[in-house]
Amino acid sequence: MCRFYEEFDAVGRQVPLPAGIYNLDDLKDFGRRKGWCPYYLARYSILHANIVVYSYHYLLDPKIADLVSKELAKKSVVVFDEAHNIDNVCIDSMSVNITRRTLDRCQNNVDTLQNTIHKIKDTDAAKLKEEYRRLVEGLKEANVARETDVYLANPVLPDEILQEAVPGTIRTAEHFVGFLRRFMEYLKSRLRVQHVVQESAPQFLKDIFDKVCIDRKPLRFCAERLQSLLRTLEIADIADFSAVTLISNFATLVSTYSQGFTIIIEPFEDRTPTIANPVLHFSCMDPSIAIKPVFQRFQSVIITSGTLSPLDIYPKILDFRPVTMASFTMTLARTCLCPLIVGRGNDQVALSSKFETREDFAVIRNYGNLLLEMSAIVPDGIVAFFTSYVYMENIVASWYEQGILENIQRNKLIFIETPDAAETSMALEKYQEACENGRGAILLSVARGKVSEGIDFVHHFGRAVIMFGVPYVYTQSRILKARLEYLRDQFQIRENDFLTFDAMRHAAQCVGRAIRGKTDYGLMIFADKRYARADKRGKLPRWIQEHISDGSLNLTVDETIQLSKHFLRQMAQPFRQEDQLGLSLLTLEQLESEEMLQKIAQIAHQT
Amino acid sequence: MAALSEEVLLVLKKVRQRKQDGTLYLMAERIAWSPEGKDRFTVSHLYADIRCQKISPDGKAKIQLQLVLHTGESTTFHFSNESTALKDRDAAKELLQQLLPKFKKKANKELEEKNRMLQEDPVLFQLYKDLVVSQVISADEFWANRLGDISNADPALYNNNNKQEVGISGAFLADIRPQTDGCNGLRYNLTADIIESIFRTYPAVKQKYSENVPHNLTEKEFWTHFFQSHYFHRDRINTGTQDIFSECAKQDEKGLKSMVVQGVKNPLVDLLSLEDKTLDEGYGVRTAPPSTSNANRTVKESSNAAIIKRFNHHSAMVLAAGSRKGETPTDQASETSSTDGNSKDSDFFQPPVKKVKLQEAIEYEDLQRENRIKTVALNLKKSDRYAHGPVPLQSQHYTTSQDIINSVNYIQHEMVNYKPNLTQVLSSTAASSAIAALSPGGILMQTGAQQAINQMIPTEVQGELKHLYAAAGELLRHFWSCFPVNTPFLEEKVIKMKSNLERFQMTKLCPFKEKIQRQYLSTNLTGHLEEMFQTAYSKFHIWQTRRMMRKT
Repeated sequence: MCRFYEEFDAVGRQVPLPAGIYNLDDLKDFGRRKGWCPYYLARYSILHANIVVYSYHYLLDPKIADLVSKELAKKSVVVFDEAHNIDNVCIDSMSVNITRRTLDRCQNNVDTLQNTIHKIKDTDAAKLKEEYRRLVEGLKEANVARETDVYLANPVLPDEILQEAVPGTIRTAEHFVGFLRRFMEYLKSRLRVQHVVQESAPQFLKDIFDKVCIDRKPLRFCAERLQSLLRTLEIADIADFSAVTLISNFATLVSTYSQGFTIIIEPFEDRTPTIANPVLHFSCMDPSIAIKPVFQRFQSVIITSGTLSPLDIYPKILDFRPVTMASFTMTLARTCLCPLIVGRGNDQVALSSKFETREDFAVIRNYGNLLLEMSAIVPDGIVAFFTSYVYMENIVASWYEQGILENIQRNKLIFIETPDAAETSMALEKYQEACENGRGAILLSVARGKVSEGIDFVHHFGRAVIMFGVPYVYTQSRILKARLEYLRDQFQIRENDFLTFDAMRHAAQCVGRAIRGKTDYGLMIFADKRYARADKRGKLPRWIQEHISDGSLNLTVDETIQLSKHFLRQMAQPFRQEDQLGLSLLTLEQLESEEMLQKIAQIAHQT
Repeated sequence: MAALSEEVLLVLKKVRQRKQDGTLYLMAERIAWSPEGKDRFTVSHLYADIRCQKISPDGKAKIQLQLVLHTGESTTFHFSNESTALKDRDAAKELLQQLLPKFKKKANKELEEKNRMLQEDPVLFQLYKDLVVSQVISADEFWANRLGDISNADPALYNNNNKQEVGISGAFLADIRPQTDGCNGLRYNLTADIIESIFRTYPAVKQKYSENVPHNLTEKEFWTHFFQSHYFHRDRINTGTQDIFSECAKQDEKGLKSMVVQGVKNPLVDLLSLEDKTLDEGYGVRTAPPSTSNANRTVKESSNAAIIKRFNHHSAMVLAAGSRKGETPTDQASETSSTDGNSKDSDFFQPPVKKVKLQEAIEYEDLQRENRIKTVALNLKKSDRYAHGPVPLQSQHYTTSQDIINSVNYIQHEMVNYKPNLTQVLSSTAASSAIAALSPGGILMQTGAQQAINQMIPTEVQGELKHLYAAAGELLRHFWSCFPVNTPFLEEKVIKMKSNLERFQMTKLCPFKEKIQRQYLSTNLTGHLEEMFQTAYSKFHIWQTRRMMRKT
């Protein structure tokens, strides 16, 4: 079949991988030398490695976890690092969107399935019989496995179905294909709506029963039944069947969870009400569903991040009982960060990105002045974040009209994030080049964008971060509204609290990009007067919060420039290793000393 | 009136200065003006002294040209010939425009540079004295070779020499401040620097310029078009195609695209590779991003997007224009380094850049135990050559290792069977003479005596010899650099150089030789020098005979 797989299958499992650190490239390299399939090698090695570092999805997304992480030992310690966004990852992995295109492709898939079944029936009917027998016996194996706790549970495979046999209506292959067809036609009819529909899972199930007489029970087995069928038909190219897999997963989820999900059918996009583009969103609102198997299975789960704040909201939304919670500050040999809240322009106009004033020219001009003045005093790189892409576009356009950008160009080159990832990468590289060769540059970017999530601006690549406005999420989306409602009803989290929490974690994420080490330093400028309020400020991470003095809560642009100049001058002094030693840098002996351990215990604020 | 012998490039009559009629002369190196009826220049400026020229705007009654000097003084000429005043002024302006930049950089800078080099480098100074002052070669010849050589040789070493190129201001377009002229129009002031910046940043404009000016458009019309074009005003969207700059915009677009397609070298900023596409299509809360096709975007939105694109492009171009020169060598270096390690399947191997960047990202300087002495890795292409060292190229018979082994074996064999035959040994006198011959200073140990040369010869003679060597080396360098002789210029030069060599030998080397022969009869100090000259001569003869043969 595949030379590499055969080779790996033959010898790969017996020969241990030499001790060392392997990334994917190393594994590829190793596999190439040995002639082994690196994919299977990686999957196999995961079970034997001391430390595995991988994306959340490998553990949280049931589709992947089933392949990759199922067999991880129960005693493993799971660390979710940079977990400030973990709830969104959980929700993403459980949500499904169905469009007309999906259904069309699904139709093709089902046709192919039917043809294949016919062909097999003529040539190899025994195979189908064997499958039928297996299905009668039910998913006993899986059940045994779950009961004996061998595997990580799969949330798409609910407990109930493990104890039962696959219902007779979908047991034979043809019947199942017919069943899929019926389900698909039903979905098609649902997409033919003229207005927005929102309903819960039970409502949906009732409707489907009334209209096409599909029961809840066979729906629940849909995902498992399809997997079994694909296995039996020996279809190698699973990727082609993604559409039908998606539909079957949806069927199982919608019939399994009566709570925590909502169904929204939108006939068109809000921006373009004339173009029909119906989408069925099956949206997960409860992140705890995806993460529950992880909590259940593994002995210790650690959730950590530099911007996990406020701490107490995470146990609520992820539905777990923390054994210990601690928030640490940073021990610094020098105050290498300088958070400043700019609330007013030089003309005393209040700076804010809130909806009522965001088109206000005075605000935009003052924002421009802030950037202009900063560009004159900050060495090398400045990164500025806006609350959304549209907002940035508008501001850039009016800065251009007002000639502010031209003046900024006198000091630094300007690079701007675009929706196109390749273009942005190029801009980023040029930005770094400009910082590197001393010309200095400004990067205009978007909170929640790719840059704010993935790129670090170490040292001279980011001496100042300016956060224009508070990055609230777009609140008009129906999915978000449904989620907020759910949070309020289930966890007693007020809508505003959650929105602020979400905005502040993204703001912290953005400004945190500038400081990636103890020798690094940077300005953090929050340009919105709302940051001064206790409810916003209190949600910033401790290590930023404690450096905001009461005096720097409502600065004008001029005051900001003065403070920044002072700070930059101080930071530019030589900073040696000896300065840090014993404070923010410990030798092994110091680390092991009793005194230091006490100090650490003190610093960790138990909550 | 020594200046009369100068080449006069342009003569304009009826030019007034200080309300006095006169004639304006533009000469090869200066501009001068003489009042009518007199044959003497009352105003004369070297081009090198002029900082810039200014002209009166079109439409003004007086047609004037003003010269501003480096000292801050200025002279104004008023063109008063009614019919051709404007033409005269423009002719003068055009000519000055061509001449001024040449002198700006050249004149004083070069002299300064030469002076500085001579002061900094005593050897060079000596050489200069030996060769130029004693008129062996001309000063021009001396410098022509030297300056070129240095700028090629080692830019790092002669950094001051090879002046760093000035980059382009990011805001050069903003510096062209339009001024309203009072009647619903805009006036732009362009300087040579700004034009240079525009050309360097936007090669497409330069190309357009050379295509259209002056056959289709005058320079002024060209720039008027430029400022009116959609191209210059970046927020407008291209609508018409009649604009000559719409093509430029397209080219820029292409350039931007190709830059994007090229991708980035640093994997840590490559957003495409950072994205984990772990979610299959159809899963996730966020739906597919709203289509960015222009169809459903408003005009304003797409013009905003255009601005953003143009800013990115502009900054990238400015950056590239600034570093264009320095870039090429580094590019080559990175290329060779990547080809050295793994040439073909970069797909399978990590590109070295990635590895380096990852290493950089995960290592903290302050966590390093101590500052280890940084060593430079020895990069050997052929390690066996390193192990053997440079082997002198001699016309001697090489022995293979097999030979050596054989002879060692033979000697061993001999030694085992060796029996001293004490009756047939050398006589004592012969033995002592042999010992004398083999001890330092003896006939067979002549080479050992050379170390004493610095003790045997007085320092002034040594110094003189050094100078001779340096001068001869310089001359020979000139001579050898002519080969291969493939242009008439080189032919001429090689003949001249040969005569230079001969002259040098006659005037410098021979007297020196005679001098040392008078003092130290035995040592042949100039032997090597003469040998070098002989080699050059023979090369020359070979070349000459070959040339003769070809001619006949």
